[in-house]
Amino acid sequence: MKTTPENHQNFFYFFYKCSFILFCLLFLILWTEISFAATIKIGEINPLSGKLAKQGMEIHQGVEVAIAEANEAGGVGGKQLKLISRDDQSQPDVAISRAEELCGWEKVRALTGGYVDSLVGPIAAVAKKYRIPYVASASLQKELVQYENPYFFRVSRLQGFTEPLCGILTERFKTQRLAILHSATPGSTELARDLESCLKANGLEVKLIEKFRPGTPDFTPLIAKLAGMKIDVIVSGGFTPDHILMIRQLKENRVSPKAYIGPFGIAYENFMQTMGEDADYLYSTCAWNPGITEPGSDATSKCFVKKFRQMFKQQPNTTNMHGYTSAKALITAMQAVVNKGQTLTGDNIRLALTQLDLPMPMEHLVFDQNGDPLHYRHVVVQVQKGRLVVVYPPDRASGQPVFPMPSWEQRN
Amino acid sequence: MSFFASKNTKFRTKGLKFDSVGLVTGLVLLIMLPALVQSNNYILQVFTHALLLASLALAWNILGVSGSISLGHAAFFGAGAYCSAVLSLEYGLSCWLTIPLAGLLATGLGLIMDLICLRLRGAYFALATLAFVEIPRVITDNWDELTHGSLGLVGVPGLPSLSLGTWSVDFSSSITASYYFVFAYSLVLLGLVRFLFNSNLGLAFQAIREEEIAAEAVGIPANRYRLLALLLSAYFTGVSGACYAHLVRYIEPGLVYGLHFSAIPMIFAICGGRFTILGPAMAALIIYPLDQFVFHPLLPAGHEFLYGVVLIVTVLFLPAGFWGSLRKVS
Amino acid sequence: MWTTALVSGISLGSFYILIALGFALIFGVTRNFNLAHGELVVFAGYVSYWLWKVLAWPFVLTFPAAILATLFICLGLQRLFARLYEPQELNSIVLSFGMAILIQNTMLFWFSGDYRLIRIPTLSQGLRVPGFYLSYGQLTLLFLSLTVIAILYILMYRTYLGKALRATIQDKEAAAQAGINVAVMGTLAFCLGAILIGLAGPLYGCTHYLYPSTGHQVTLLAVTITIFAGVGRLGGIILAGWILGLAESFAVILCGASWREMVAAVLLLTLLAFKPRGILGKGEQ
Repeated sequence: MKTTPENHQNFFYFFYKCSFILFCLLFLILWTEISFAATIKIGEINPLSGKLAKQGMEIHQGVEVAIAEANEAGGVGGKQLKLISRDDQSQPDVAISRAEELCGWEKVRALTGGYVDSLVGPIAAVAKKYRIPYVASASLQKELVQYENPYFFRVSRLQGFTEPLCGILTERFKTQRLAILHSATPGSTELARDLESCLKANGLEVKLIEKFRPGTPDFTPLIAKLAGMKIDVIVSGGFTPDHILMIRQLKENRVSPKAYIGPFGIAYENFMQTMGEDADYLYSTCAWNPGITEPGSDATSKCFVKKFRQMFKQQPNTTNMHGYTSAKALITAMQAVVNKGQTLTGDNIRLALTQLDLPMPMEHLVFDQNGDPLHYRHVVVQVQKGRLVVVYPPDRASGQPVFPMPSWEQRN
Repeated sequence: MSFFASKNTKFRTKGLKFDSVGLVTGLVLLIMLPALVQSNNYILQVFTHALLLASLALAWNILGVSGSISLGHAAFFGAGAYCSAVLSLEYGLSCWLTIPLAGLLATGLGLIMDLICLRLRGAYFALATLAFVEIPRVITDNWDELTHGSLGLVGVPGLPSLSLGTWSVDFSSSITASYYFVFAYSLVLLGLVRFLFNSNLGLAFQAIREEEIAAEAVGIPANRYRLLALLLSAYFTGVSGACYAHLVRYIEPGLVYGLHFSAIPMIFAICGGRFTILGPAMAALIIYPLDQFVFHPLLPAGHEFLYGVVLIVTVLFLPAGFWGSLRKVS
Repeated sequence: MWTTALVSGISLGSFYILIALGFALIFGVTRNFNLAHGELVVFAGYVSYWLWKVLAWPFVLTFPAAILATLFICLGLQRLFARLYEPQELNSIVLSFGMAILIQNTMLFWFSGDYRLIRIPTLSQGLRVPGFYLSYGQLTLLFLSLTVIAILYILMYRTYLGKALRATIQDKEAAAQAGINVAVMGTLAFCLGAILIGLAGPLYGCTHYLYPSTGHQVTLLAVTITIFAGVGRLGGIILAGWILGLAESFAVILCGASWREMVAAVLLLTLLAFKPRGILGKGEQ
């Protein structure tokens, strides 16, 4: 379209008018307050777009199940729960804005959700300002509980990964030719560090520690290095795509370690289906899976799976369970407050959370004085013939680990 | 000396009335915003970040107006963020000191970049800047003792406080205070950019941009001016990065060196008008809040789409950006 | 250790050359930077995946389908690029950047965030050679890439059409004056580029994994190799692909995996500082 001065002007002024109207509408929307007096608002901030969209969505689904369950049972104190979800776009400044919106504008009673520590941290700071309790669904790093924040709680922590890993490496595998690979992200780096110091304290030497960028398109030189150093146990703190590539390239180059342990991203249905037989004999850690649940919580676990399948038509995984657990913690705490006849203020809910003692399929949920979950501990699993088998700790094991892993030549 | 004389009439608008009225109303609205929204933290938070992105876009545009498109400004942003964060967190220096120092570090990086990219033009330059980001990024990522490497920095101190005699204000104490801090910085930068573009230096930049060989023939040392543009741009990008670190208070290499902070100022500057003064700031102040307030709740999973569409529409139909085209009309 | 690195450096390097060639052709002939190149490769991979997985087509048949789909989109892209104002290069960066965002989000919407692989069991079998192991997958990659490069070489240096293409790459205006229809050359370049992308996509799904946001990495790779090589020089691109692949491999073995990206960047920047026109370029201006 050839732009003549008249044309240009028309288009522009039209656009200008439209934006102005849009802005007015926007202010109007923001000024009107539709009050939901008869509901209890719970806020949730997850990455729903960007690289972490999948995981954020999974946490959101878990939270939705908990809320739906509670509402079907009559809500809390007779009032229905309303979940207000927001997306933090994997950007801290957006996370802060969303937290301000939920805490200051929507005035939620409590917050949950969250997937990455660099987003959970800023949200926790805003929650503290408004004195609203925040139960994070998937926070890991130590530093988040080192800053005095009585309003911050979380249902996961890194120790839950490193303790069982350290255990199986020192008690069962006992190798001195160990390599730890990790991704250049905060969580993965801290895992590598903590694992190394735990192993050193138990007399195991780590021959090689390497850091790679998430999304590296080629691991062959690294694999060549591992083969050259005759590494027999590889612990990789990478995520699903890194494992996919690494296993393929290990197979392609016929480099067969005795064990490959990937704490993040392996114990998922999607991974095992995508990889097929190549996923066999891989180790991972697992907080929960349908069939792998805390002793005594079979019924709750089955109930959750059933409800989840009813709502979302697919099998739930551990990320869903993290969302479910964090929301359940809040709901139970709120119920406790109502039962005592108190009002649902941030401080009362916070107090109830500190006194929480809630057996869940993923863990026996009790918070310590920093907000960390005391009993959060993964089990070590191995993929055997396409199914997850618990191999450590012995009191929860349902099978024996196949160690060493059969070499690639022997497998096909 | 005569470089800064205001002889350049090119950026002086023909529609002076439209421009000034628009600018003044915009400024008044921004100053009055906290009062207008009754210190609503959510709205102010979004606008604080919009202003920070506006300053980032203005800084990028200083280089843009001299004809070079940089795809690697995240190098300066991240370096500035880390410099200020590390100095204030580990060494306890006041932010009034660390923020300008961060800018200086970024300027140093800019000097290195210029030495490497001296003879590159156009697309080659853009792509070299894209590669350049890796250097400070990998160094920051691997220098564990200084920067905590991939773990990121947690608990970076907030914006500084200012005491003048008996009156003092802590800029990190409330969102409103942070808002005014970032607003003041953006305003200063805007004034500087306006002064620069209206001076002989601005004319020189335009000459280099439009016809470099002819400019050289007339005695304008293109390489030197390009260097100046790059250094200025790097300095303010570094300062913006430092402000970001003190606003958000949690940084990690993947975040501050990421493509997001290279692409966003470019998108705003191009959509707003690469050859105008106000264009980039206007685009930032319109598009970002629009995205956060309107598109975000409407399309939780697809609002990134918006940026792509805006970019395509602008480059195809409005090569001078929104503000540029608007001014052409008036 | 070194032989494994060498073998994979060359095999993967050849694959990266295939990816870079499409980009270089389009850029060379039409002076349009296509920053959505990587997204198109991933898109072709998704088309192939969908046909292979959902419709159970044999893998080899998915290649022509992927090529056709990419052709369709590339021609559409060419129309858009043609409408750009001057300066062509910089505006095309911006336009293709926007297109990349659009394509990425569309793929995210249609294919969701799951990782997808095209698994061909025969490709993971192979031969054991003294010193290392060579899988059929690596051989196929190497063979296919070299064949395509050879065909392209014959086209560019032994046919009249190729001569016309090379003339357009060297100097558009002079070529136009010599009677070459520059517009048709541009369309041809886009078509050839689309064919190369359509070939690379399914291979990418085979050797790596498919995920909406990996496109960006692939683009960076293509861009790096093209700039490294200098525009329009076929030999340069091959050399560049191998040098870069080997340099990265050796950097990982010697310095560690965390320095990989910086080595590539430093290599590229050093080259640009001394030879702004690429490895085989003819110096400045």
